[in-house]
Amino acid sequence: MASVCAASRLLSKRISTQYPVVDHEFDAVVVGAGGAGLRAAFGLSEAGFNTACVTKLFPTRSHTVAAQGGINAALGNMEGDDWRWHFYDTVKGSDWLGDQDAIHYMTEQAPAAVVELENFGMPFSRTEDGKIYQRAFGGQSLKFGKGGQAHRCCCVADRTGHSLLHTLYGRSLRYDTSYFVEYFALDLLMENGECKGVIALCMEDGSIHRFRSQNTVIATGGYGRTYFSCTSAHTSTGDGNAMVTRAGLPCQDLEFVQFHPTGIYGAGCLITEGCRGEGGILINSEGERFMERYAPNAKDLASRDVVSRSMTIEIREGRGVGPEKDHVYLQLHHLPPQQLATRLPGISETAMIFAGVDVTKEPIPVLPTVHYNMGGIPTNYKGQVITHTNGNDKVVPGLYACGEAACASVHGANRLGANSLLDLVVFGRACALTIAEEHKPDKGKIRWHRLRRDRTPSGSSGPVHITCLLHCSLWCLCCLPRRETVPPDAQCRRRVCGQPGQAEEGCDKMDDIYQSLDDIKTFDRGIVWNTDLVESLELQNLMLNAVQTIYSAEQRKESRGAHAREDFKDRVDEYDFSKPTQGQEKKPFEQHWRKHTMSYVDPKTGKVSLEYRPVIDHSLDEQDCAHIPPAIRSY
Amino acid sequence: MLSSVVAKRLVAGMCQAAWRPAVTGLVSCRAYRGDSPEDTRGDLIEIPLPPWEERPGEPADIKKKRLLYESRKRGMLENCILLSLFAKQYLNTMSEKQLLQYDRLINEPSNDWDIYYWATEAQPTPDIYQGEVMEMLKEFTKNHNHEQRLDAPSLEYLEKEIQ
Repeated sequence: MASVCAASRLLSKRISTQYPVVDHEFDAVVVGAGGAGLRAAFGLSEAGFNTACVTKLFPTRSHTVAAQGGINAALGNMEGDDWRWHFYDTVKGSDWLGDQDAIHYMTEQAPAAVVELENFGMPFSRTEDGKIYQRAFGGQSLKFGKGGQAHRCCCVADRTGHSLLHTLYGRSLRYDTSYFVEYFALDLLMENGECKGVIALCMEDGSIHRFRSQNTVIATGGYGRTYFSCTSAHTSTGDGNAMVTRAGLPCQDLEFVQFHPTGIYGAGCLITEGCRGEGGILINSEGERFMERYAPNAKDLASRDVVSRSMTIEIREGRGVGPEKDHVYLQLHHLPPQQLATRLPGISETAMIFAGVDVTKEPIPVLPTVHYNMGGIPTNYKGQVITHTNGNDKVVPGLYACGEAACASVHGANRLGANSLLDLVVFGRACALTIAEEHKPDKGKIRWHRLRRDRTPSGSSGPVHITCLLHCSLWCLCCLPRRETVPPDAQCRRRVCGQPGQAEEGCDKMDDIYQSLDDIKTFDRGIVWNTDLVESLELQNLMLNAVQTIYSAEQRKESRGAHAREDFKDRVDEYDFSKPTQGQEKKPFEQHWRKHTMSYVDPKTGKVSLEYRPVIDHSLDEQDCAHIPPAIRSY
Repeated sequence: MLSSVVAKRLVAGMCQAAWRPAVTGLVSCRAYRGDSPEDTRGDLIEIPLPPWEERPGEPADIKKKRLLYESRKRGMLENCILLSLFAKQYLNTMSEKQLLQYDRLINEPSNDWDIYYWATEAQPTPDIYQGEVMEMLKEFTKNHNHEQRLDAPSLEYLEKEIQ
């Protein structure tokens, strides 16, 4: 990497004259136009800020569109409800790794957020009396877990995600938000530890654009594509996390990755739990319905993390199917074809299209599949990005984050269904509100050094900081000795982490792959619509996410929520919560694991360093909503 | 005498029918949701997005490069895999007319799921998107050869084509 950087510095002068650099100035810049990004952009525009939204996809094509579930909110339309019960469910779901002040904020704001969306024009499904229809969803209960199933998921038929995007995008256009669509954000512009904007590549003409602003909001989504099998679109490449890492800031809790038990092997497309609800069963290489051993009562309908773990154990003990024995089968052909056709039509199509399997004759190859990233850029409950130094949280001026890219942390170690869309709208709005509070629009012009076109962007005269990575990629683009492409992601995506003994091996393999990234070359030499270049940049971003995930997972010697290890099966808290805490000695911070991981990477060497930050255990207002003390998590 | 509920449903049904093509048969949902509530499509009606526009001056090779990016980067995984494989097979041999049809098909609809439902014939394709390219996509989706479509293809195939 070092020799390449030296060469690139010589070339960078040439590059900056060859590559037009366009400067923009805005009151606020939002990176990403999914649910969270659009809500933030809309909120900022409405508050009078001159806002830019930089996105690599057309807004209604963001990954939020895949969301078909709904938004949780304690409106109480189906039965009496209280947001404090939703608060309890979320804290418990997070396995006490969630920050209770952020969870308090989210669950208390939820009803207002849903009503606000309704006022914007989102056509929530209605009951006969015209109130918003709310359905049941996993993990939601009444009366602090003692009152049975709660119905608090509001939806727009089965296209809640799409409706959210369509509504917010449409409304934001009335306020004159400037959208920069199909611009790939490259890096943050940092000066003296403050964020001054973002730099992006315009795909249409290959020009570089600098968006300078006092307020930058990152809403770039998750990084499912680091894994071989994930349910995410090919756009979930953790671009925001990587930008923050390259700026020398930490990411939080990246080891907490949620798995859905049944995604199609390889493709990763989600096979809904409804299949097992209709009678589908999971079988191993011996044709055995193995869930009977792991969950004698619930069998195939046990909770998601139990099913995922059981499938993983079967595979590891050699009872997997296929030539590599690396997945299991979901069998549906014992069900009547009529039932398959009427109640599970989507599944039959998906299985044929992506696995080439006729579900009336053959079983579907499935594997626990990455579904969501609980971790991300650490923020406080207001959406401001923070670092943790000398035992205190410190805000990074000018930088905000929301959505799956951020870690507030409301989901902690495990996310509940239908809380993710809620997270997007509440914290997208929170970022806009915080920015409006802290900075009035055009109050005091930013003093910029004037950058001449022929100066290298990374020259000492400018506040701009472009990483070596960008130069390397552009260099590859201009001066390729040979055209060779590294097979994209095939190795990088393979998951080797969190399993006994394999954890360290995984870290070593990851280091090798990281070094091999130096060999990356693009063959497409054009500057216009260069998909090859963008995918190579995304690969580099994925790599930064992957390396932090695997090291954080290797270090965390416990099982909590979605992070499960065979060699450390229990949660390690400051007290043993299975017994009364009175009389127990509190373990010091270094000796227990109820804490957030903060990971840093040196981009040149790929070396990860880890620090830890305590969980916030108090709510925003103890009088109004008492915090929930940790307990054993059982359902 | 109609009850108010039934009357409301009739009105809603008429309004819906006026605004979108008639849907016959079972509406396929990706997920099993039990009783799927009605969709009034109020947002699509009340909040129109700026209309999609052709790019008349765009040369064919640039259009193909743009459509390649736009085929590979979609809202959900199913479309990412389907359209990138489709683009690998057909994009470079499409005529100008076909390119225009494809451009409209993948860029005009606001809900990516709709493209998937039309390609899998779970819902009928609206007239404006019917044509050669839609037929090609539907045939391609059927996966007659029972291939395993595990992932979007890597871009190496383009390099081989250039050589």
